[in-house]
Amino acid sequence: MIVLQNVSKVYPNGTRALDDVSLQIEEREFVFLVGPSGAGKTTLIRLINRDTSPDSGNVFVENTDVTRISRREIPKLRRRVGVIYQDYKLLPGLSVRQNVEFVLKSTGEFNGRTSKWVDEALALVQLSDRADHHPHELSGGEQQRTAIARAIVRRCPILVADEPTGNLDHATSWDTIQLLVRINALGATVLMATHNREIVDTMRRRVIEIANGKVVRDELGGGYDG
Amino acid sequence: MTAKLNVLRYVLGAAMLGLWRNRTMTLGAVVTTAVMLVTLAAFLAINDTLNEMVTALGRKSNLIAYVRDDARPSRVTEIMQDLEQRPGVGEVVFVTKEDALRIFQERFFDQRDVIDILQANPLPASVELRMDDPAVLPALADELRGMTGVFESVAVPLDVVERLVSISNVSRAAGTAMIVALTAVALFVIANTIRIAVYARRQEIEIMKLVGATDWFVRGPFIIEGAFIGLVGATLAAVALVVMYLQVAPTITRLISFLPIATDVSFVRNLAVFIVLVGLVVGSIGSYVSVRRYLAV
Ligand SMILES: Nc1ncnc2c1ncn2[C@@H]1O[C@H](COP(=O)(O)OP(=O)(O)OP(=O)(O)O)[C@@H](O)[C@H]1O
Ligand SMILES: [Mg+2]
Repeated sequence: MIVLQNVSKVYPNGTRALDDVSLQIEEREFVFLVGPSGAGKTTLIRLINRDTSPDSGNVFVENTDVTRISRREIPKLRRRVGVIYQDYKLLPGLSVRQNVEFVLKSTGEFNGRTSKWVDEALALVQLSDRADHHPHELSGGEQQRTAIARAIVRRCPILVADEPTGNLDHATSWDTIQLLVRINALGATVLMATHNREIVDTMRRRVIEIANGKVVRDELGGGYDG
Repeated sequence: MTAKLNVLRYVLGAAMLGLWRNRTMTLGAVVTTAVMLVTLAAFLAINDTLNEMVTALGRKSNLIAYVRDDARPSRVTEIMQDLEQRPGVGEVVFVTKEDALRIFQERFFDQRDVIDILQANPLPASVELRMDDPAVLPALADELRGMTGVFESVAVPLDVVERLVSISNVSRAAGTAMIVALTAVALFVIANTIRIAVYARRQEIEIMKLVGATDWFVRGPFIIEGAFIGLVGATLAAVALVVMYLQVAPTITRLISFLPIATDVSFVRNLAVFIVLVGLVVGSIGSYVSVRRYLAV
């Protein structure tokens, strides 16, 4: 499903973000990615949708080596992988609904049928009553939930969440986790980078821990600390 | 199918929105393109007129080669047949001594019989050339002058033709240089407009790419914007051209009716169509260059 083989990534400024990382995530798995700030979690996520390329090693997504695909094939990959970005990446000029619709419009998939998906996604993150607000009119948590709605609207088979609860209170964080669990139960593979100790400790799912760009722990039913 | 229509609608909508958001730049680019194209049209009209003049004057100014009285007629016929095959030569006519005398008589001595006075016909026969392309006249004249056994002398009204040909050449060179410069300016302005449009939408573009938009879906609106600028500029230029034609052509034709200035309807229509096409192409190329350069998709 998602396989990294001996992946190393050095940014142009010389930072070694990932160092010989190998891991395998099966279809329909739910995996937490933990590790201190700067460990390389976001970098790992960016490799999966070919937002960046490794300096060495291979990254397989659904049996395709995405480090080897051509430019023309990148959109196909990205339509299979929904990403919740740590910094949301919302468009300030668009309303919540328009931000979510934007995903479908960008691929020419927006129509009467898929506009229902938008309503459903907004309902799932409990933002239906904020649909016409613009990002600057939203709280941090509401912005984060907009980003979640945008990532799930296309119903991708792979959902990658980069710190999706970073700005949420206790109750909303748990709502978000429930949502991801539900999406996972519906058949999606979910990879979630997080610093939320309580959630990881309570959920007891598979935990992959990285530190200084290396995998230091890969444990089924693990907690936040080893 | 509906997906394709969706894409088309999106691309067109985004293009129009982009043009509107960026309307000051858009207007500037449209005006620049229009100015460039009006100049192009003016140059083409002038050039066409000059060419017509050269041709027309060339037609009137025959080359006349006077045949020696002792030249063999078969040799003259041979030369005439050869001349007819030459490029640029329109018509080759033989004027006999009798014809020459008759023409002379008609012109100067309408009433009297010159032969009676002169006892014999002193006028030579001649070979007259009507040219399609007067530019080849000088070389041809030199060649015939070399045939001293056949021709007494060769007369060419060279000066006017040569001067016109050289004016036409200068005008063509100057016009071409101007068109190249103006096209470069129009390309630059359009490319720059699109660059700014790309910059204004860089956030949108980043997200579109991250959620799986194809390269052409991202590029499309920008290319359409450039093509649209070119098209509108060209339409303005074409309208200006037609207005100028309607206003100015009758006056010019009246003032210098002896010159074959290109003012006929079909010429103006073709020119207008050509200009619109040039505008479209320049707009598309300008935006494509910018998109390739600044969009990295
Ligand atoms: N675009 C970049 N250019 C250069 N260095 C980068 C870039 N992005 C990240 N880095 C560096 O790479 C390392 C890993 O960064 P990354 O964003 O993957 O960490 P992270 O685990 O996601 O951290 P956090 O928990 O704070 O989000 C860090 O040292 C960071 O400074
Ligand atoms: Mg991160």
